[in-house]
Amino acid sequence: MPSRKLLPQAAEPFAAAFRSMLPSLFATRSRVDYGDAQRLRARRSVLSQSGTFVGHRRYERGDDLRHLDWAAYARTGELFTKQLEDDDRRAITIVLDLSSSMLAGTPQRRIGALRLAAVLGGLALARLDGLTIVAPGASAPVQRFVGAAQLPVLLSYLRELPTVDAAPAESSAAVLSAGPVGRVHWISDFAPPQPFERPLQELRRRGARVTGWLPVLPEDERPPQTGYLRVVDPETGRGLSVPVDASLAEELRRQLALLARQQRQMFAEVGSSLMRWPFAVHSVDAPAMAEHLPIVAACAR
Amino acid sequence: MILERPEFLWALLVLPLLWWLSRPPAPRTAVLTAHLPQWQLAMRALRRRPPRGAWLRFLLLAAALLAACLAAAGAHTAATPGPDRLVVLLDASSSMAARRDGVSVFTTAQEMVRERLAAVPEHVEVTLLRCGGSLRRRYGAAARALLDVGEPGGELVADLAGLANSLCDERTEVWVVTDGQAQVRSPTRGALDVLDGRGPNASIVAVRVEDEWPLPNLQVEVDVVVHADPGQDVWVAAVGAIEGGALRQPLLWQDSQVSTMTLDVRRLATGGDLQVAVEVAGDVMAADNSCAIALPALPAPRVAVHSGDDAGPFAEVAAAALAEEVRGKVVPATAGGEVGLLVVDGGVAEVAAGRVRALTFGARLGADVALEPWLAPAGLDWDREHSLTRGLDLSELRVDRAWRGLLPEGEALLWSEQDGRREPLAVLVQGDGVASVHFAFRLEDANLPLLAAFPQLLRRAFVRSYDRDARVLVDHRPLPAGERDLRYAQPASSRPLAAFGAPARSLAAWCVAAGLLALALRSLLR
Repeated sequence: MPSRKLLPQAAEPFAAAFRSMLPSLFATRSRVDYGDAQRLRARRSVLSQSGTFVGHRRYERGDDLRHLDWAAYARTGELFTKQLEDDDRRAITIVLDLSSSMLAGTPQRRIGALRLAAVLGGLALARLDGLTIVAPGASAPVQRFVGAAQLPVLLSYLRELPTVDAAPAESSAAVLSAGPVGRVHWISDFAPPQPFERPLQELRRRGARVTGWLPVLPEDERPPQTGYLRVVDPETGRGLSVPVDASLAEELRRQLALLARQQRQMFAEVGSSLMRWPFAVHSVDAPAMAEHLPIVAACAR
Repeated sequence: MILERPEFLWALLVLPLLWWLSRPPAPRTAVLTAHLPQWQLAMRALRRRPPRGAWLRFLLLAAALLAACLAAAGAHTAATPGPDRLVVLLDASSSMAARRDGVSVFTTAQEMVRERLAAVPEHVEVTLLRCGGSLRRRYGAAARALLDVGEPGGELVADLAGLANSLCDERTEVWVVTDGQAQVRSPTRGALDVLDGRGPNASIVAVRVEDEWPLPNLQVEVDVVVHADPGQDVWVAAVGAIEGGALRQPLLWQDSQVSTMTLDVRRLATGGDLQVAVEVAGDVMAADNSCAIALPALPAPRVAVHSGDDAGPFAEVAAAALAEEVRGKVVPATAGGEVGLLVVDGGVAEVAAGRVRALTFGARLGADVALEPWLAPAGLDWDREHSLTRGLDLSELRVDRAWRGLLPEGEALLWSEQDGRREPLAVLVQGDGVASVHFAFRLEDANLPLLAAFPQLLRRAFVRSYDRDARVLVDHRPLPAGERDLRYAQPASSRPLAAFGAPARSLAAWCVAAGLLALALRSLLR
């Protein structure tokens, strides 16, 4: 990892325009609905956790078989699941990649990641029961937020997150240790994708429905056409002096496309989906509502 | 390696600057990326490599700079102590002409010297001194090539040992090549090669010819010295222009003593070469075995007599006697006639002195010659060393009348000396291959015809008028006495040449070449 001197300072992720846009974004309720499937998934995940027994309810498809009350089945001949205290709580977990590689890009990919977390978290606070932020390496790596009133706290928490390099396995471990696993939104650059495969499989085995979110920078699709650059991996500090010309730019574009395909293929193989969010199509200081609506729509699905 | 001007090495301080300049330009723009592997894959796919420090190019540049600094600093190798001059004392005395197995010792010595000098380093100054006979000195390339060292001959005058010892010093190596003959000691310093040319030898040390020209009789006395084991047969042979073609006689000899063999032969009338040789088995020195004698052809003289009106009969009588002596004949003197000798007594004879074989007595050589009578010249004397009068007794000569102003310029052989003033009475005028003798008096005015020496004087005048056509030429170059006995040589063992020193060699050219090579290689590297 290069010295901190070489790394750029984390930019202010939440410009005033973005903060002012959030209420109107969360108000697009008519177009955003989590639906029954989301509730089923949340229920299934919550039931897989231990808690105080509060009663029975009829078994529904998707419930964890480990919570079937076999005694009640013997008495009544019907399937009931034991309902615990947190049952039916609708919550999401957002896993944030705070590694230094997220500082790459102009604007920094980290800004997109934090705004993505803010939008997803804000929607969860506004419409669901709770939100858990998992940020390995932070002073409070697992932070729970409940209620729409905690949106400013959420934004403040996100702003204060440091830049910490952590392996994907640490993130998945933190998610699993945080409590019931519901829907997980993992925000990262997923580059390279291979280290993410095993943690994603682990989460999948533990019943999590993971959606990968990748804030896409303009240079991810349009690399520099000319110039004499030194490209540096902020995590490893390794660099490469590259005279860029059209042929190299074309080849790099091909390699980036190949990376994107590998990322999609990896997510598909672990039964998850990957959402690529074109970040900062317009000015990062003047975000447009239209850029963020796909996030809301994706959450509704 | 030694540096003459090490201060030039300060120039190496520019090496860090060169290193800095040779670094590839650093990109001005640094871009953080999470896709470094993709950049690397793209570069690899296009077979491109990132600009990197051309260490090899820098090393070659540094090597070129270092070479330039060393060249400027005057880098050179350390000199190796040792001689850097070589003086070859080549014995070229007569004894070196001895032949072993058909090859002369001198030839063997030349080949050996030439071969060894080829291996002598170029920086060594080579001087070749031919010792023996004519001293010759060759230097440098001429010495290495043994240019024009001639053939062996003459006496070894120089003391090779003393010369070698005096020349040899720290810088000079002396190499003596000799056969060890005629030397009392061997060189104690320097290199030495003693070639073996020992063997028996017979030498003709002197040849004397008593020629009775114009008669065919010839007496050849040959002095021979034989250096051989006793009991060997020695022969003296004469082969050539003599009756019978050859004459071969055994020689009674004693070791190292002069033995004289007299050969009485008769030459052929046509003359020619006569080769006199001494023969002994196993003779290693053939050069001193023979002697060549060129015999003049016998004349068939026609003696013409021209006497003045007042001359007596002496001239005709003398001519007849001379013709009989030389087996010629007397013919009348006619204008345009070709004669062997013209005898003129008195009167006028239109002959050019020294251009016509003539013997004149009181004859004017031109009609316009003014004469002054000279009565009874006193104080007569003659040249006792002259070839015409040597050994003749002319003390009884009396001249009643002679003529002043009659004689041409020439060698006076008879004169009158009074009051310390010498006036010639007879002269020899030497021309080109022709000589004439002129007397200032007529025969009838003197008692010369009556002297016993007169016939001999006539014959000598006849022979002398033929000049070189009557001479016997003996071509004999005897060996010096010390070079004849080849059975003994100064014992000595050969010593090789010392190791020569090597001068300090400048490495500047090599440094410049290395620097240029480094730059050339650097230009090929990318």
